[in-house]
Amino acid sequence: MNDSLKVGDQELGSRLFLGTGKFSSTQAMIEAVKASGSELVTVALRRFNREQAEDDLYGPLSQLENVRLMPNTSGAMNAKEAVRAAMLGRELSKSPFVKLEIHPNPHHLLPDPIETYEAAIELVKQGFLVLPYIPADPVLAKRLEDIGCAAVMPLGAAIGTGKGLSTAEMIRIIVRDSNIPVIVDAGLRSPSEAACALEMGCDAVLVNSAIAAAENPAAMAAAFKMGVEAGRAAYKAGLMPTSEAAVASSPLTSFLSIDD
Amino acid sequence: MKLTVNGDVHEHQGDGSVEALLGELGANKAHTALMINGDVIPSESWADTSLNENDVIEMLVFVGGG
Repeated sequence: MNDSLKVGDQELGSRLFLGTGKFSSTQAMIEAVKASGSELVTVALRRFNREQAEDDLYGPLSQLENVRLMPNTSGAMNAKEAVRAAMLGRELSKSPFVKLEIHPNPHHLLPDPIETYEAAIELVKQGFLVLPYIPADPVLAKRLEDIGCAAVMPLGAAIGTGKGLSTAEMIRIIVRDSNIPVIVDAGLRSPSEAACALEMGCDAVLVNSAIAAAENPAAMAAAFKMGVEAGRAAYKAGLMPTSEAAVASSPLTSFLSIDD
Repeated sequence: MKLTVNGDVHEHQGDGSVEALLGELGANKAHTALMINGDVIPSESWADTSLNENDVIEMLVFVGGG
């Protein structure tokens, strides 16, 4: 059965999105993308520097089959800069996806919800599929859905911290109320956390540091792929309800009791 | 022609076309996004774009990012 993820008018076969930052080499990144099975990969923009031409990922990424690029707006301090970054990114990606991220404070990298909301309005108007990186705030998520964002990407924990789904309770509310895909972005460290996000009903996860900073990035990418698939399968299978009282799964007939 | 390219002053020796500037700086045309004086210039418009004295130019490429 087709279980592809629809983001706007785009269909994706994988529910694992991959970031391309922090890898030790381009080759390691490419191998991880392949192992992950991801069909949507984020990239950032930086000033051209002829001394560091090897950092230019356009060539290597364009060799990958069935992978679409989602430029981010990292570095933008406000809505205006983010819109500009998105337009520049689209020039190169030739894809409608944009990961809208505005996090002006380098100490915590938490998203600025007000600037993000304003930028989203403009980018939707310009025809982008806007995937905003946001605090796990159900009210903001709903407002972003209302203005036409293609998905919302609440954070599990601060970028690069590996602290997992610390916002799980808020994400549950977002998932319950959302009519657009919910993608956990940032904070994940292990495939079990990715599985957990999918089990909760999240539609996908975006992972970068957990894979790039693993001892073996390609092997970790493959592990995340399985985690995401397991979580999705479990969600669709329907988890059993929880209970405060113990409920035996074996008969408790006391045939072993000794009556003297 | 004096330009500011990616924050540095650059003395352009070519004919003032976008292509000449990119060639001069060793940038790959297909890998580069361009902004002139704060406006994003789509690659389809490069052939019709002339650079002017004191233009502020940003040339951007894709790098790793999450």
